[in-house]
Amino acid sequence: MISANKQIRAARYGMTIDVDRCNGCGACMVACSIENNVPPAHEGATDRKGLTWIRVYKVDNGEEYPNRRTAFVPVMCQHCGHDTPCVHVCPQQAVDVDPATGVVGEMPQRCLGCRYCVAACPYHARYFNWWDPAWPAGMEKTLNPGVTPRMRGVVEKCNLCHGRWHAAKELAAAAGKPDTEPVDYVPACAEACPTGAIQFGDLNDHASLPAKAAAEPGSFRLLEKLGTEPKIYYRSKKDWVRGIAAAPRPGAAGKETVRG
Amino acid sequence: MKTTRREIMMFAGGSAVGVLFTPAPWRLITDTALWSENWPGIPVPARGEIRARYTNCSLCPAGCAVRARCVGDQPVALAGVAGHPLSHGALCPFGLAGHHLPYLPSRVKQGPVKEAAAAVADGIAKCGPAEYIVTLDLRPARTASWTYRRAMAAIKNGRYVTPSYDPPVAVDFAKARTPSSDRSAAVDLAKAPTHPSDAWMAADLTRARTPSSDAWMAVDLTRARTPSSDGSAAVHLAKAPTPSSNAWMAADLTKARTPSSDRSAAVDLAKAPAHSSDAWVAVDLARARTPSSDASVAVDLTKARTVLSLGVALLDGWGTPGNVIAARPGFRLIQAEAVESRTASMADWWLRIRPGSEDALAQGLAGTLTRAAAAEATGLAESEIAALAAELKDNGPVLVLGSSRLESTGRTIVTRRETPVPAEWRKAAPVTGLASLPDGSIRVLIIDESTPGAYLPWKAIEKKLVADNPVVVALAWSREGYGRHAQYVLPVGVYPEVAGDIPPAIDSVAATFRISTPLVAAPGGCVKPEEFIAGAAGLPLTDTLHERADAIHKTGRGTLFTYADAKSAALKDISAEDFWKALNAGGCWIDTPDDKAAVARLAPTVAQPRSSEESELPLAVVLSQELTPASPILSKLYQESNLRLGPNRVALPPSSGLEDGTQATLQTVLGKCAVQVTLDAGVPAGLVRVSASPAILDLCADGARAKVVRA
Amino acid sequence: MTLRGKIPFLAGLAVALGAGWVGFPHAIYRSRPQPVDFSHKVHADKAGTKCEDCHSFREDGTFAGLPTVDKCAGCHAAPMGATVAEKNFIDQYVTPNREPRWAVYARQPTNVSFSHIAHVKRANLTCESCHGDTGSSSTLRPYQADRISGYSRDIWKVQTTQAGKPMAHGMKMADCVECHRRKGLEHSCLDCHK
Repeated sequence: MISANKQIRAARYGMTIDVDRCNGCGACMVACSIENNVPPAHEGATDRKGLTWIRVYKVDNGEEYPNRRTAFVPVMCQHCGHDTPCVHVCPQQAVDVDPATGVVGEMPQRCLGCRYCVAACPYHARYFNWWDPAWPAGMEKTLNPGVTPRMRGVVEKCNLCHGRWHAAKELAAAAGKPDTEPVDYVPACAEACPTGAIQFGDLNDHASLPAKAAAEPGSFRLLEKLGTEPKIYYRSKKDWVRGIAAAPRPGAAGKETVRG
Repeated sequence: MKTTRREIMMFAGGSAVGVLFTPAPWRLITDTALWSENWPGIPVPARGEIRARYTNCSLCPAGCAVRARCVGDQPVALAGVAGHPLSHGALCPFGLAGHHLPYLPSRVKQGPVKEAAAAVADGIAKCGPAEYIVTLDLRPARTASWTYRRAMAAIKNGRYVTPSYDPPVAVDFAKARTPSSDRSAAVDLAKAPTHPSDAWMAADLTRARTPSSDAWMAVDLTRARTPSSDGSAAVHLAKAPTPSSNAWMAADLTKARTPSSDRSAAVDLAKAPAHSSDAWVAVDLARARTPSSDASVAVDLTKARTVLSLGVALLDGWGTPGNVIAARPGFRLIQAEAVESRTASMADWWLRIRPGSEDALAQGLAGTLTRAAAAEATGLAESEIAALAAELKDNGPVLVLGSSRLESTGRTIVTRRETPVPAEWRKAAPVTGLASLPDGSIRVLIIDESTPGAYLPWKAIEKKLVADNPVVVALAWSREGYGRHAQYVLPVGVYPEVAGDIPPAIDSVAATFRISTPLVAAPGGCVKPEEFIAGAAGLPLTDTLHERADAIHKTGRGTLFTYADAKSAALKDISAEDFWKALNAGGCWIDTPDDKAAVARLAPTVAQPRSSEESELPLAVVLSQELTPASPILSKLYQESNLRLGPNRVALPPSSGLEDGTQATLQTVLGKCAVQVTLDAGVPAGLVRVSASPAILDLCADGARAKVVRA
Repeated sequence: MTLRGKIPFLAGLAVALGAGWVGFPHAIYRSRPQPVDFSHKVHADKAGTKCEDCHSFREDGTFAGLPTVDKCAGCHAAPMGATVAEKNFIDQYVTPNREPRWAVYARQPTNVSFSHIAHVKRANLTCESCHGDTGSSSTLRPYQADRISGYSRDIWKVQTTQAGKPMAHGMKMADCVECHRRKGLEHSCLDCHK
């Protein structure tokens, strides 16, 4: 809800991810957890109950050697721009789409933990805190003051490192820049990616890499036919990867398998 | 007047109504909600000024540059340094979480330091004439390693030992480049006349091996070039110096070319053009570094057009990952590996060979093994091997990487000067391998396990210890490595608590010097390995890092890259003091590359194919290794997703019959270990991919036979 | 209802109102004095300091908050006056280089991201408009916090200052939203939350 009397240049922060460059190292997953104070796994955590705001999946074309091909696909909240499913279903209105930045923001403090949004998200990008966060003794000293830790029983997800956005806004204010301009910052995953597969930028800024990628015919988004208008664009030269991205569930398009 | 029940009820009713008009109930509701959200035990991040500090990561030889975002003085996040000429701003998942390591729950914080020192002193005093005092350095070539070598030199019978490599199984690729494939082109050196005029070109260097010792006789073919007009080369074997068992001299085959092609017995290296760039050379990485020379070898990926990796995890932690990533678009990668590792899935061509058949493939390519035999050993088709050989021939410069050796054409392998050391340090014990010590001869063994490095299986070490009361001290950050076997485990600091230097990585074409500046203080009980070992030897310990920096500064060579401003400056323009300060504030010295020196090359040999273990155990082990120590946050990759295979986990094909996540037991001939199963379609049937930990490495090496049963 | 019925009712009403308005605030807050008896007035008058001299902004725009003891030690390495409070401060904090455990009246919960510089530089708000007349106070009032939620009493309303004038509004989310709404600056929850 941008009040009509305020002129701001709205941003639509998004990403372009080059699947062919991703080498599955997991640096993005670790950097994200460190930036956002996501705790290490509880003993009982598995890949279904873990907290991985960004998760790299290994996908393959289902063939046997020597025709077997694999790729790594990082998936985080896609920041759906249209008919955002999680916003629609939340009984607490704990999620909203920021009209100034396009970021789908989750408020864990408002969440009551019904997990309706976890079910609604077509990308499985939302995670529920099954346990209280616990760090080994002393490791709490390494927490990031820019992000608040969550308690158990609430849902959390990627917010394109909004803590860094806040810091960038303060820097812009200190430099005397007007409030109406979008700020320049980089989320932790994009900064950490050693191959440069993840690139972040403002989709409304035609010069940014994501905006350019979005305009390319070769770019695709996950589950585009659902019409959620996600802001994360993927690129790959491999057709079978595009097939997986369009499929409603793993294996439905053919023999492809997805494991993360 | 008696109070009736009615009056009480009216009173209560009035209070109830009245309370609603006070703030009390509303505040209590809000407070309860707030209280339920601020659960005790949820930590609150510390507040403070955000600062940047710089250091170098010492978790692996890449030594990537690190920018630490600190709240006050406490690092809360790490990142790479953009624009760095070596690491290019990259940092791996382990490096990103390095600031968590001081708080690892499995850390040893206290240890019997005095007792250990006394036991070591006692052992040194009691050391017999055929016994040794040994320091085992798991990550050699650091400045601390020089201190250990000097300390061992100061002790009678002191020996400095590093993890030794397997004997070189090099392949004479020179033989692969004969004009006709049926000509073996091997020459019987024994028949080589001593007189140079007979235009013999001797090249069967396998025969040059003297059976009486382990020492290689090397051929200095540079001397063999006669200036005569027919350009024939000969070998003065008698004049070839016989090196001592530690020093290697290698054959520079590039110089051995003969122009005449009708010398049937000549290795037709004449087809090797005058420029050394096309000549095949074989380098034994381990042996190419001679203690007597300043040279070691490095790999220049930027010069390679084709890379054949024999099971080496080139894209997954080899060398300096940022450098590999930057060079990757320039070469075609062929990965020969038994399982679909991350490198295999990213390679341009993955050759799925049987585990342990890397050497057979190399020899099949070189022609020393027939294509049919190589195909049988590796499980590939003969046509695939032929296609590969053709590709290596046509798309040079080629680099072949194996786990203990390299082969290349072109200047993909270059000599690298050693990072300078103060001259006084050269009076140090030589580098020896564990295999060179007789069994039952080590009286005192001090293991420096403080920086992550190779893990030698305990059985190999145990048999070298004396039978009666050997003293074994492990300087380690946890008890999970040699701490399980050592008598004394002394706690050491972990990255980023410890000041130390990181030796240049294998893909660094020039020598480097970078210091891992401590960002936090080590716990009080920790020991500095350098101090302990120097103390045991009675060697006075000085600020060795500073002395080394001064020695480097004296040479005046190279550039200093400082991280705070991402700028490079020539070393000769900086004072020694500023140089030292810059290295500690976050900087890296890079030598000028050594263009002129010839690469020390090893004479190639024909290998004996490894015989496979006879065993009833159904699976062959393929090891993968993750970096340790690793922060618990790596659970994101090990437990909360299946992206990487965490330590003590095994990957089996989906056809194995076990479910994903099963607790199981890995059984080998040497013992058992508890593991957890992951299913991975990239693992072929009959194999089990095992993520190594010291407990597992004590039980099996690559290629061992094993069984995985439900626990 | 007879008069007889009304009396207990009205009595209950009165008791509840009294307990709720007088007794409850007394019970719900715990109070502790500040570690040092600091006088803003003395520093403003005698040292000529303004708010931003000690409560400054850093270069990256973050607010430094309360000054650390080394800032005080810059002048108070030796006693500058004759008060007992100053002597105690030097003995207990400056000399051993120990930080006083100040209780921050305006401390927001950890999930709030408040940018001082945005409000001071862009909205041109004065310190007094949210923090009251603290700058002219000659003592620091005791810090009062809600026993159950742990929040400072000032969140609801800055209490009376030395000048005797309570602030008109507090620092609850509703107070911030009211002004933001007026200025047309509310977009999303995450603008102010982290």
